[in-house]
Amino acid sequence: MSTRFEPGTQFRLPPRPMTRERMRWYVDIQDTVYYDDGRIHPQPPTIHDDDAYAKKQGLPGIIADGMISTNWILSLLVDVFGPDAASRGRLRTKYIAPVYEDQVLITCASVASVHDNEQGETLYQLDVWCEDDTGKKVTVGEARVHSAAR
Amino acid sequence: MATGRFVTDLDRGDVMGPVDYTMSRFVVREYCHAVEMHQPCFQGIDAQIAPPTLVHLDKLRLYKHACPAGTGPTARLHIEYDATLHAAVPVGVPLRVKGTVTDRFMKRGREYVLVHIDLRTAGDDRLLIDYRDTVILAYKGKDDAAGGEKS
Repeated sequence: MSTRFEPGTQFRLPPRPMTRERMRWYVDIQDTVYYDDGRIHPQPPTIHDDDAYAKKQGLPGIIADGMISTNWILSLLVDVFGPDAASRGRLRTKYIAPVYEDQVLITCASVASVHDNEQGETLYQLDVWCEDDTGKKVTVGEARVHSAAR
Repeated sequence: MATGRFVTDLDRGDVMGPVDYTMSRFVVREYCHAVEMHQPCFQGIDAQIAPPTLVHLDKLRLYKHACPAGTGPTARLHIEYDATLHAAVPVGVPLRVKGTVTDRFMKRGREYVLVHIDLRTAGDDRLLIDYRDTVILAYKGKDDAAGGEKS
């Protein structure tokens, strides 16, 4: 019998610093996906991996691509609900504050509501967010997960 | 119509694509490695599926197709990801992605661009993901936030 999570249940990943490497991995993956030839394709300087370029764009330094935090939220949902979380439902994230180098992020989700549908699925509505180690939210959003009957 | 040159030229009503491609096992593994998602469903230990967040890179795929001159004079700031998932994205199956610029407007001195992306299987036209993406085109204000995107 599968676990049923009630409203108010919270999930959190361990703290992770947004290192320069993590930012660069997301830069390098973009053209690597596009060319899909089995090799890594770096990009020209971006605001995520080049301090001088970021400053030229009016930023104090490099900032993380918001999709990193979106993926960390997705990862948390897949840890909790399995592949269902990557198959049906919805994920919406909004980047409300910049994430700078070495800022520590904690990825969180909280069950807002739960109900069963006629197909025998359990539908979870969740609040999702990433906060830093002072509790300041930098990414906020919502998710809907269709958890299949097991 | 503002396709054919810079991303910063894109305007409401512009259509990007469709573009056909096949999601490879390498791309899924490499992407998941980059964002530290090591779950078996993405690694191909049993059946492999793609993380739905890869649809964000479909936007960059469409930009390359529709805006061959590149980004334009300013970096973009990605501020919102909003994806509705209809089915898991399969690996090794031909896919078709299409983008439409649904809005471009000024708000508090900033220029917003909204793009809707539709990802389907190419063979039977089955909807997998519909994705709404919001960016700010230029952000040289000191209090601007968010997740910045590309050069």
